[in-house]
Amino acid sequence: MAIMITDTVDSNDSNNTTDSKDGGAARSSTVSVIGRQTRSWTSIAVISAIAVALSVPVLVIVWSIVSPSTEVWQELWATRLPGMIRETAILLIMVLAGTLVLGTALAWLVTAYQFPGRRVLGWLLVTPLAIPGYVLGFVWLDTLEGPLGARGVRSIWLCALVLTITLYPYVYLFARAAFREQSQRAVDVARSLGCSRTKAFWRVVLPMARPSLAAGVALVGMEVLTDIGTVRLFNVSTIADGVLRVWFGTGNRDAAAELAVVLIGVAIVLIAAERLARGRARFTQSGSRVGLHVERLRGARAVSASAIGWGVFTVAVALPIYRLITWALEAQRTDQTSTVSGDLGFHLMSSLRVTAVAVLACLGLGLLLAAGLNRRRASGSLLARLTTLGYTVPGPVVAIGVLVTLAAVDRLGWLPGGWLLVGSFIGLIYALVVRFLAVAYYGIEASITKVPPSVVASARTLGAGRFRVATRIELPLAGAGIIAAAVLVAIDTVKELPITLILRPFGTETLPIWVWQATSESLWVQAAVPSLAIVTLGMLLVAALLWTLERGAETVS
Amino acid sequence: MKPKPLKLMGSLIIGTLVLSACGSGDSTDSSDTTVSPATSDAVGDGGTITVYTGRHYGIEPVFAQFTADTGIEVRFTTGNDPELRERLIAEGANTPADVIMTADAANIELSAAAGVLANVNSDILTETIPAELRSDANNWFSLSQRARVVIASTERVENPPTTYAEVGNPEWQGKLCLRPSTHPYTQSLVASLIISEGEERATEIVRSWVDNDPLYIDSDTDIYNAIANGECDVAIANTYYLGRLLTENPAFPVEIVWPEQDGRGTHVNVSTAAVTANAPNPEGALALIEWLATKGQQQFSDANFEYPADPNVKPNEIVAGFGEFTADLAAVRQLGNNQPAAVKVLSAAGYQ
Repeated sequence: MAIMITDTVDSNDSNNTTDSKDGGAARSSTVSVIGRQTRSWTSIAVISAIAVALSVPVLVIVWSIVSPSTEVWQELWATRLPGMIRETAILLIMVLAGTLVLGTALAWLVTAYQFPGRRVLGWLLVTPLAIPGYVLGFVWLDTLEGPLGARGVRSIWLCALVLTITLYPYVYLFARAAFREQSQRAVDVARSLGCSRTKAFWRVVLPMARPSLAAGVALVGMEVLTDIGTVRLFNVSTIADGVLRVWFGTGNRDAAAELAVVLIGVAIVLIAAERLARGRARFTQSGSRVGLHVERLRGARAVSASAIGWGVFTVAVALPIYRLITWALEAQRTDQTSTVSGDLGFHLMSSLRVTAVAVLACLGLGLLLAAGLNRRRASGSLLARLTTLGYTVPGPVVAIGVLVTLAAVDRLGWLPGGWLLVGSFIGLIYALVVRFLAVAYYGIEASITKVPPSVVASARTLGAGRFRVATRIELPLAGAGIIAAAVLVAIDTVKELPITLILRPFGTETLPIWVWQATSESLWVQAAVPSLAIVTLGMLLVAALLWTLERGAETVS
Repeated sequence: MKPKPLKLMGSLIIGTLVLSACGSGDSTDSSDTTVSPATSDAVGDGGTITVYTGRHYGIEPVFAQFTADTGIEVRFTTGNDPELRERLIAEGANTPADVIMTADAANIELSAAAGVLANVNSDILTETIPAELRSDANNWFSLSQRARVVIASTERVENPPTTYAEVGNPEWQGKLCLRPSTHPYTQSLVASLIISEGEERATEIVRSWVDNDPLYIDSDTDIYNAIANGECDVAIANTYYLGRLLTENPAFPVEIVWPEQDGRGTHVNVSTAAVTANAPNPEGALALIEWLATKGQQQFSDANFEYPADPNVKPNEIVAGFGEFTADLAAVRQLGNNQPAAVKVLSAAGYQ
């Protein structure tokens, strides 16, 4: 017999896996307390107001299609738009396919096989999350310019490759969690029916993981659609790039906003596709669990498994960090390790302050919404969709939406002492919440609905009140998932540039701002120190994320 | 449950908020304010001014010197020109900004068109800054010029192009480097072509560049390096990057060719500054711009190897080494109005 998965500690938050396809219909939200109980109109009004307040900046943008700028559209159709759509589609398809294959394959490798370095690779393969695409982009552009030439390096293929190695961890994380939740029993049944191990993977394991894979791929899709920094480096003209092109080039904000609406449309299609891929399948777990058996690889196969894992890590993380370190040393030598605003410590504190407050805000609001919205109802689902709009448009567009919204509030003069929201710390946090709340909300929501309905039902039967069930059962059981969601928000916020750039208050100069100040003048060496600091922070957060996921799984059992 | 009231309430809230946000989003305040210099020139308690600056390279020491000279503290935030403009417009009467500075003429012109700049009544500025380098209404002023020139390899090119149109000659097929059209420098260069040659001819010229299958690089520094590395032989770029590169390597193998010297002159763009229409401290704002145009003119221009706006101030030694040239000053004030047309021409010609 193969060895049991030792570092898998998933357990009975997912009691055990069976592939009951109908179990889900009856599951979770019908029983779960959070997100379900009858509420007073006051609380419904409060929740709705929050959801709406968070979606106004994007709705302001959407509003622009009411009076379309026909002339601009005609010109765009005749010139750039077909190319933009083509390049966006090609990039999207390549990156989605690339991350799906790479993420799933790596997750399967570290879940189902034992080979040297497996445990540490299981962790390290998540770390590309720590490196912002705009940093990885300029490092790779510079590195590959030597062998490929300045012309060869600027291609949609390399852009797709860079995005794939930055973004595959989203799929990897989801896939690994899905594989770990699965039971050996299903595989055993398949094998007893004559499937080989490989065939069992394709016929049983992979189909059962489909909902998780779809969720990971959908996240990747959002990131690709809204990326601007990386695609520009590689001369790829996507729709997101087009939004800024129209807006900055012609000053026509309405036309730019209309193009952004196209982007929201594509994002909605992507989400719908994810729902479709998930289908009606709900895989709940029951009974005592037996995790997937792990096969020990030997000889050449073990070596190649190691080599694949380390190879991906080297390309995605080790090499870029090595380049950053050499540049940082040069920066040290030439005394370029601080800016006019302050030294590393100053910028670090700025970043930490913004990130900490943004994460707390996202967490609080995410919990409130998860508790208050019942997504099984059309109204709840609509409000949930509204709050997540900000995640479907590029950062600069969110920033302008927020700017216009807050300036409108400032104009009303309702705030005491002539205090203004634009350029305030609160204003910046609000914008970041608009952009990243989706990450927190869906993470929290998903982990709460994962709490076994039977547990909640039992507690209720035994006389526990709703509040008690929520605080004593649901939150603790979902705790790890909630912290993981918070850490994901932190990782996004630490890397965030366009919103901070436009809305930051005086004296708040985060690390990405420092990177921007250097790279916008092509001073790559000057960008090394802040880039390295961002990557370090990201690495710590990724470690926290993994630790939370592991520990969360343990404590529940 | 009763979902209907909730839906209704939801749509009501959405409706009101969207409407209120949209209704006031674009309104701007009158720009009829005229700023005149303060009567006293007391040094010391000059208060504080707030600056939005799209030009951030080496700006801090310049502000520090201004504070040392005048006692006026400068608080500033950096950003991209268009975003700072959007912020200024959105803030309207509430803006904390006294001064907006841009790295590009078109962006300041768009701010002027949106009515967020103040007309300024200053003898100092009208005397030092040539009329071509400030707006008719005197609501913005150039502080330095940046020339966009033809650059060529000193090792591989014998007869470099001497006009922008010649860059499109077939001999540069596959040997040309250009900056993508997303960048304001490219847009303002094409705007200058439209101003002097008309939209049709400008489109032809841009198309001839595109036919040469240029390598697009979104960084002037990297364009210089691409020529040094043999990736291309000729390119269009700003001069001041060469200033920076030459300080690092005096033997850098790229030379500057001043285009259009037999005609209208080389395309120049400008770094500008303006007092905002709703400046909380308009006197302090004007004091900064006047200082930058006079006492600080040398330091401001040299900080980035640019050409001073005041013709009586000599450029930095390295910059002077690039040689004298005739600049297309006549076009500067029209760059902003022609930028949307330039974006159109670039799209029509298939420029990346």
